[in-house]
Amino acid sequence: MSGAFTPVMTGSADPAAPRPVTPKAVPYRNGAVSPSAAALRAQFGDAIRRVAVVWGETTVVVEPGREGEIVRWLHDDPSQRYDYLSDVTAVEFRDVEAPIEVVWHLRSLPFRRFLRLKVELAKGGPLEVDSVWPVYKSADWLERECYDMFGIRFRGHPDLRRILMWEQYREGHPLRKDFPLRGRFSRSEQLRQALMANPEARYSMEELSIADAFDDLPEEIRHRLATGERTGE
Amino acid sequence: MDVRAYLPILMLVAFVVANAIMMLAVSHFTLRPRPTPVKQTPYESGIPPVGTAHERFSVKFYMVAMLFIVFDIETVFMIPWGTYYHQLSCNVPLANGACPASHVSFFGLGEMLVFIAILLVGFIYVWKKGALQWD
Amino acid sequence: MGLTAPPRAGEQIATYDPASQESWVATRLDLLVNWGRANSLWPMPFGTACCAIEFMATAASRFDLARFGMERMSFSPRQADVLICAGRVPFKLAPVLRRIWQQMPQPKWCISMGACASSGGMFDNYAVVQGIDTIIPVDVYVPGCPPRPEGLLYGIMMLQEKVKRERMSDTTLRREMEPDPTSGLYIPAEAIDELSEPFGNSVQQTRSVL
Repeated sequence: MSGAFTPVMTGSADPAAPRPVTPKAVPYRNGAVSPSAAALRAQFGDAIRRVAVVWGETTVVVEPGREGEIVRWLHDDPSQRYDYLSDVTAVEFRDVEAPIEVVWHLRSLPFRRFLRLKVELAKGGPLEVDSVWPVYKSADWLERECYDMFGIRFRGHPDLRRILMWEQYREGHPLRKDFPLRGRFSRSEQLRQALMANPEARYSMEELSIADAFDDLPEEIRHRLATGERTGE
Repeated sequence: MDVRAYLPILMLVAFVVANAIMMLAVSHFTLRPRPTPVKQTPYESGIPPVGTAHERFSVKFYMVAMLFIVFDIETVFMIPWGTYYHQLSCNVPLANGACPASHVSFFGLGEMLVFIAILLVGFIYVWKKGALQWD
Repeated sequence: MGLTAPPRAGEQIATYDPASQESWVATRLDLLVNWGRANSLWPMPFGTACCAIEFMATAASRFDLARFGMERMSFSPRQADVLICAGRVPFKLAPVLRRIWQQMPQPKWCISMGACASSGGMFDNYAVVQGIDTIIPVDVYVPGCPPRPEGLLYGIMMLQEKVKRERMSDTTLRREMEPDPTSGLYIPAEAIDELSEPFGNSVQQTRSVL
């Protein structure tokens, strides 16, 4: 990329606005840095550890305690407007000394930008980061998956429990490097525990009666629920 | 009262009843049921069933069914009236299927209009009460 | 029928013996019933992954399951004869598969289609059941990843032959599985471990990376 980032507003009818083009030759390192990195440096200064550009994608590594407010600022600030959370995930490297990295992939649809935010957590300490659920609702299940696979707890998450494995899964966190590929228990023990797990035991009738989505229901069903009709009782 | 005219349909009814009884009897005598507790539970995509199956139905279905019966009977009564309309609109018995011009009357029409007017009152009441409201 | 319990004391597993003095009526009845069952096996496709696509291809026009009387797929176990498990089964799905098998009325059979359903396939890991015969009794295993439709048809024809070999005098056949109430396993734990033993490259995967 030539290094010129011009914001293209969605739905912009301005014919002079440059059409975004797929860059042809993207350098591996030392590509053009996204202006969001400079804006972050200006806003948060000391919280930004380092910035790297790999294959044209900007990665910003930040201090562990600050990611919540940084993500909130990236979402709210009118010059950044990162309104789409692609992914929340984690990486554990093969090196025993390397820290576990928690990664957020953010996209700004009005500005057509991509940003990768990382936080490094030392392995011996508590694996805890701020949840971005207050900012992006899609982080709900993404963070649950991260918790299930790596054991990283997200402060402020409304319902942090396992999502891919069953809730009473006791063998550990599967994608950690110290977790053997075939699991820790014997196959018969794994089968025994799996057969005992009842994934539906968690939901009460109230939860199943769509209490959360009440406002989105059609008028007739709302009326029936409001007059005391219970689903299936 | 010629029973022989009804013989085909009576045979059909007898055959149907015998067929149904035969199917049930064969199942009853050849089956060896092997019930297990899990087999008896309702099928719910392989998970233990949640809640009960007794859903409450909206009363609007009952209202529509009931009103349909009433107004359908009214329609049924209009059919024989329509059949004899020609005779009903004549003061004297018909001669060769024609009614003398001076004896044409509105008796048949008037009778039916009275009938319909009585039911119309009921219809207006039902409409005002909101029984025809679906949502 | 697959890995079921051994016959109880005094029970015989009957096979076809040309010299037996079984009555003519019983043998004709056997033939009739088995012919009827074999040629109208209504499958319940328990398709989870890629093998389900091959199953759909087998049911489609080129390879046509309808000529076997199997075009009527039943997605409710109540109306199905044969459970075709096509695809990998994760541990989270194991109780579901078990319950669906138990909710199928007799007579029922099971075809394990593909490598993942038969043995866990390439997924020798923490999440995938190493062969559904550790959960439910299987009659025919169809290898392949995924098996060609011709392969699945061969497995189905094998099942048809198995059905035709059944005899009414054989009381070991239509028995419901009795899983152990505490563990939920229907075969001994050692048997499950032996069936799920790693082989090939999987032998290297029992330790963690660190």
